[in-house]
Amino acid sequence: MFALSRRSDTRTAPARGIELPPSYLRSSLSIRGVLEAECELTIGGKVVGRIAALTLIIAPGGHVEGDIIARDVVIGGYLKGRVFAPTVTVEETAHVDGRIFHHTISVARGAHFDGRMPWRPVSYFETLDQLPETQP
Amino acid sequence: MTIFNRNDKPADATAKPPANDIVQPQKPAERPQATAQPLSPPAKTGASMPSVISKALKITGQLESTEDIQIDGEIDGDVRGVGVKIGNNAKVKGTVYGDEVELAGTIDGKIEAKKVILNGTARMSGDVVHQDIKIESGAFIDGHLKPEFGKTASKPASVSTLKPVTSVAPAPEKSIEARH
Repeated sequence: MFALSRRSDTRTAPARGIELPPSYLRSSLSIRGVLEAECELTIGGKVVGRIAALTLIIAPGGHVEGDIIARDVVIGGYLKGRVFAPTVTVEETAHVDGRIFHHTISVARGAHFDGRMPWRPVSYFETLDQLPETQP
Repeated sequence: MTIFNRNDKPADATAKPPANDIVQPQKPAERPQATAQPLSPPAKTGASMPSVISKALKITGQLESTEDIQIDGEIDGDVRGVGVKIGNNAKVKGTVYGDEVELAGTIDGKIEAKKVILNGTARMSGDVVHQDIKIESGAFIDGHLKPEFGKTASKPASVSTLKPVTSVAPAPEKSIEARH
């Protein structure tokens, strides 16, 4: 379900990104459930649940509670939960409460971050088929 | 030679590493900025812009919006919105509530809306509760059409989530009745 089959993704990602139109969830939209996107997903509203996406952007004002698996994650809003992504960007408007498993991360000055940022090798994300159990 | 070497090394050391340091952070930073910048303007200006669930997105769960929703993907669960447009290849398994529901894709469940439009490519398996309906030639319907929107008791429940005002009004009545 959460397998991101990165071998094929990393090769065909730009082409697929162009092919598949992005999704945009506006601030008025709230979702409770599981989101699986093979495209760029922008969340401006509220989402409670698991998210799997190619690229996930939590826009400023966006509110996410749950675990995230993606290739690229940009956090500009509120996030409570775990992130599993090779590339993570935490913007200055972000409020993060949780753990970010990453290979490359940038955290902007001004960002509110409460939690840990464990580094993992790229192979960790390639073999990430489902949400792993992590120690609290 | 040693002097030249010494001069060269510091010169390189001062010139190259900072250049690398600047270039490297900028490259990863530019991507998110480039993606984030086009997103923030519609967030500010586009109150009329609908939320878009593209064909590459599958949602298992409930959606609620106080604005319009455009669905081109797959949804397993209930959808509540004001204007709900379900695109050509979209699939919804569940109940769709709204003021206006336009269906060009597939619904396996129910529609409860004031105004319902079933396009020629629509495939509707389930009941349609409406006040006003338009059905184009080619639409497939397997279910009952009930012009009862807003009449039965179950309808205010669906409307109340969209308009809290209506839910506030009946709630005190019930509580008063319960007290009596």
